[in-house]
Amino acid sequence: MNIFRFEFLKLSRKSRGWLGPILVFVLIMIAYPLTVEVSNLELGQSFFSVLWIATLLVMMLATEDIFLEDYNDGSLEQLSISDGNLSFVIAVKIFIYWMLIGIPISIIGFLFCIGITNSSQNSIYVLPIILVASYIFINVFSFGNALSLTKGSVLGTLVTLPLLLPLLIVLGKVIVAINFGLNYFGFLLLLLGILSIIIFIVPMIISYIIRAHLE
Amino acid sequence: MIMFNFAFNSFSEAILMESQNGQSHGIYVWSVLLIVFLCIFMTFFFYKNKIKKITKKFK
Amino acid sequence: MIKKFIHQFASPKTYMFQVNRAYPYIFYFSVIIYSLSVFWGLFLTPEDFVQGNSYRIIYLHVPASFISQSLYLAMAIASAVYLIWKVKLSVYLVRSIAPIGAITTFIALISGSIWGIPTWGTWWVWDARIVSTLILFIMYLGLISLHDSFNNFEKADKFLSILVIVGSVNIPIIKMSVEWWSTLHQPASITLSEKPAIDLVMLYPLFGSIIGFAGIVTCLVILSSKFQIFRREKNKSWVNDYV
Repeated sequence: MNIFRFEFLKLSRKSRGWLGPILVFVLIMIAYPLTVEVSNLELGQSFFSVLWIATLLVMMLATEDIFLEDYNDGSLEQLSISDGNLSFVIAVKIFIYWMLIGIPISIIGFLFCIGITNSSQNSIYVLPIILVASYIFINVFSFGNALSLTKGSVLGTLVTLPLLLPLLIVLGKVIVAINFGLNYFGFLLLLLGILSIIIFIVPMIISYIIRAHLE
Repeated sequence: MIMFNFAFNSFSEAILMESQNGQSHGIYVWSVLLIVFLCIFMTFFFYKNKIKKITKKFK
Repeated sequence: MIKKFIHQFASPKTYMFQVNRAYPYIFYFSVIIYSLSVFWGLFLTPEDFVQGNSYRIIYLHVPASFISQSLYLAMAIASAVYLIWKVKLSVYLVRSIAPIGAITTFIALISGSIWGIPTWGTWWVWDARIVSTLILFIMYLGLISLHDSFNNFEKADKFLSILVIVGSVNIPIIKMSVEWWSTLHQPASITLSEKPAIDLVMLYPLFGSIIGFAGIVTCLVILSSKFQIFRREKNKSWVNDYV
């Protein structure tokens, strides 16, 4: 419990870290209608692709320095030497990032979804999908940023974005499934299944990578 | 079943590769062949050159 | 037991001598096989009823796309060997396969899109198989840039092999994509479990070109791994003796 509170305080005091990505997300969502000649019908058509890509980019921004400050001030080194479980701490860290950035983004995205597509029923279906998807994104991007810890986040994004593109295809299919009332829950279960694998494996891999960085 | 039978009667026919629907597909086939061979040759040349350079340093 | 075997026979020195002995045989064999079967495919096979003569691109396209995926699989196995047994040679191989894989994927993409013009009427389709091949291409480039961005080779080796293993989730997606998503791309012509979907007259040269292309790619990998070994082991005494 102590780790949860510690990580929470650390992120919440750094408002650039969590408020910044949320505001960027809001700005992208506001920017989208400006690029379309305003008529609600056209707006709804490609709203979801903008939503997914905005979520992806914002998660990329959010995880930019997820391990960098801890690495620079030596707290990661301390953790890896002490008998504390490094991968558990990393999982907690990722969870806190998702809680402070992913959940607000999902709710904001949901509100924009209602506002732009004018269909509250479809938007309710979208909400769990974006929650799960943002958690997957944040996990994979923190893996990439752990790889390129001292080399800037461009490299990490470059090597992890290809892994996420199949997921974006699935997300595109989800919207089709919602619009036509097809097997929506099948897709949700698929995403949850991917998440349940990733949530255990990624912190383990990241802790291995960080130990390699510290050597 | 005839295994070896020339599909084209003359050299120019093979260059053009005119199909039954009237289109000539030769340009596609030959450009792909050119690209594939060029890529392979360039890679061979590139690595031979690189090995030559690095072994020169040892001597 | 296995560990001892690997450590004995996978030292870069023995690898270099063995490979140098085998290289000319592989090279001439594969060049002859490849050029013969491409010639066979381009001139001696009958015209396809549906696609016309443009189907002849299959003898250039299929080997490249098949080998590009197999190379990734080989990289994944080699990096697993590196992470488990810490065999230096296998990570040299991973690093030297990456650019060759990028080139074969490039060939597959280019030949596929040129093939698409006469058969589909468009050179690019946003369908799963083509996009995942493009993703594979970008991944090869990403692997190379990841490895080159670290000055410390030990670190770079570790990260490279982790990333290769994580990225191998993409391979089954490519394999299955043609069945999972509705697409313009035709399903694979040859599978292990079923009868081939193309006629035997067209099949034999296809097999030949796949084998020949695999041999040529093996030669390229050998050359590139030689370069990697020289680069990484330049301070060892055997390299100086060898040169």
